[in-house]
Amino acid sequence: MSTITLLTIILFILMWIVGGKRGLASFSSVALNFILLFLTVIFISIGIPALWTTIFAGIAILAVTIYMGNSDEKTTNIAFEATLISLAIVVVVMVPFIKLVGIQGFSPEQSEEIEAFNLLIGVNFESIVISTMILSTLGAIAEAAIAIASGLDEIIEQQPDITLPALYTSGRNIGLQIMGMTFNTLFFGMFGGDLALFILLYKLDATFGYYLNSKIFVAESMEVLFSSISIILVIWITTYMMGKKVRRT
Amino acid sequence: MRVKKKYLIEWLLIILSGILIYFLVDNDAFLYKDPVAQIVSVTNSKATKTEDTYKNKDMTTEQTLKVKVLNGHRKGEVLTAKNTFSKSGGYDQRFYRGQKVFIKFEKSDGKLMAMINNYKRDVYLIMLCWAVVVLLFLVTQIRGFTSLISVILNFIIFLLCVQLDVKWNINNFFWIFATVAVIFLALSLVLVIGFNWQCLVTFSSIFIGTTLAMIIGVVAMQVTNDKGVHYEALDFATQSPKQLFLAATVIGLLGAVMDAATDIVSTLFEMKRTQPGISRKQLFISGQNVGKSIMGPLVNVLLLIFFAETVTMAVLFFRTGNSIAYTFEWTMSLGIIQSLISGIGITLVIPSASLLSSLVLGSDNK
Repeated sequence: MSTITLLTIILFILMWIVGGKRGLASFSSVALNFILLFLTVIFISIGIPALWTTIFAGIAILAVTIYMGNSDEKTTNIAFEATLISLAIVVVVMVPFIKLVGIQGFSPEQSEEIEAFNLLIGVNFESIVISTMILSTLGAIAEAAIAIASGLDEIIEQQPDITLPALYTSGRNIGLQIMGMTFNTLFFGMFGGDLALFILLYKLDATFGYYLNSKIFVAESMEVLFSSISIILVIWITTYMMGKKVRRT
Repeated sequence: MRVKKKYLIEWLLIILSGILIYFLVDNDAFLYKDPVAQIVSVTNSKATKTEDTYKNKDMTTEQTLKVKVLNGHRKGEVLTAKNTFSKSGGYDQRFYRGQKVFIKFEKSDGKLMAMINNYKRDVYLIMLCWAVVVLLFLVTQIRGFTSLISVILNFIIFLLCVQLDVKWNINNFFWIFATVAVIFLALSLVLVIGFNWQCLVTFSSIFIGTTLAMIIGVVAMQVTNDKGVHYEALDFATQSPKQLFLAATVIGLLGAVMDAATDIVSTLFEMKRTQPGISRKQLFISGQNVGKSIMGPLVNVLLLIFFAETVTMAVLFFRTGNSIAYTFEWTMSLGIIQSLISGIGITLVIPSASLLSSLVLGSDNK
């Protein structure tokens, strides 16, 4: 048995034990998203425009992530709407920005890995990097939206007569901590993911200016920064929408 | 009226700071040792069509650029530079008039030429950082800055440890990064939550979750003898790839577990604040509920982040005639193992965070 198979089985069992039915649904959502992502890569490879493929896949992935494993429809609807709004805002800002920065394709640090390849493969690397950014942003906003919506929902459930200002205060309290921690998830993800790169850059005696301009470092940082922007937006929007919902009912 | 005036001043300051930073960074060439130049004119040659053995069609174009040096002892000189860009842009870039680049001086046929070394990207990176700070300020005023400070501090500690790792060059450098992970954890929690019971509860549950997940991961690798794992596929590896992989895993895992644990513990503490008399059992159930609803999304976040990293490489593999299985094994398997271990950590931290908080917070009289 391969390591991946064994770990997948362990994850499946644990999610089942801890989450029960919802755990199973969550596991299926992960599996489904994996298939969606894999298809996205294949579609991009056979030449279907990367940006549109990603936007369609992205909305599907968001729906799967938010609706599967969450039975409470009110919370999930709000989380879904909030993620779509913030995703739209971020994509509109991101696309022209990435065109300016020139971070598509591979960087000189990767030259060893890619030297066996001919890189003139007729795909648009610029739209691939945009896809990359959208995909990594998606997960972070979906998670933040769900966390804040379900947190607020627990509070509303426990105190159905909560006033709007009190709900906003609670929303801010939870929101700030969720924001802080989601930042950490992102940055630790980056530190972890780029550990080898950081060691290499240090060994190469990279200067501060090198970090600020190198293609790969700028690309990695932008991914985290765009995700941070979208997290701040989504927490703001979700709290506001939860508040409106409470006032309506 | 006074409130409006305050907002007006705030917005003015924000816009002014943006313009000022842009102007400063855009003209920071004098701070660099490497020569920086601005492109003053571009002439493109006719595009050449190419086709590789896999029938991938592409086009390459040569550019002749005139660049004006902006710093150093050749400041003000205008030199000629050559650049080739392809339509796909996998390793090259099309340049336009007005862009700034790092160059190297080169003599060819007795004539001084400029060779483009790198594109100047610092303006964009710093403007994006500025945008994050402004947004954080607008949404949270001052309070959100503690999370920013914790991130910056962690980054500094991280860089210091990379330095230590390179200097010491010990065999078991995994433990350097495992220690760093614990320091990260303590620091971020104290800064974001403050030093109190909530912090202690969160710390303990995260510690338990991370350690257990790491042990499970390592045992699983041992049992299966690393079947299907290609450590040599790890990018940029300059040290033992397996340890590097484990170190990267523990840091990424910690971030994810931290996220899950804080979501649960902070919701439970918030509940305790609004309803002081809440029972232990109710707290535990609520904790499990929050956990169940964030479990799926969190594992999905990790999946997305890791997948995003592999897209470019996977497309390159697919386009150059590699099979799905081969591409999967060489570009994705390491990332998947990391995501799976993080997923296990997230799942384990849900009961441990719910249990610990309900023990600390719950009242016995219900």
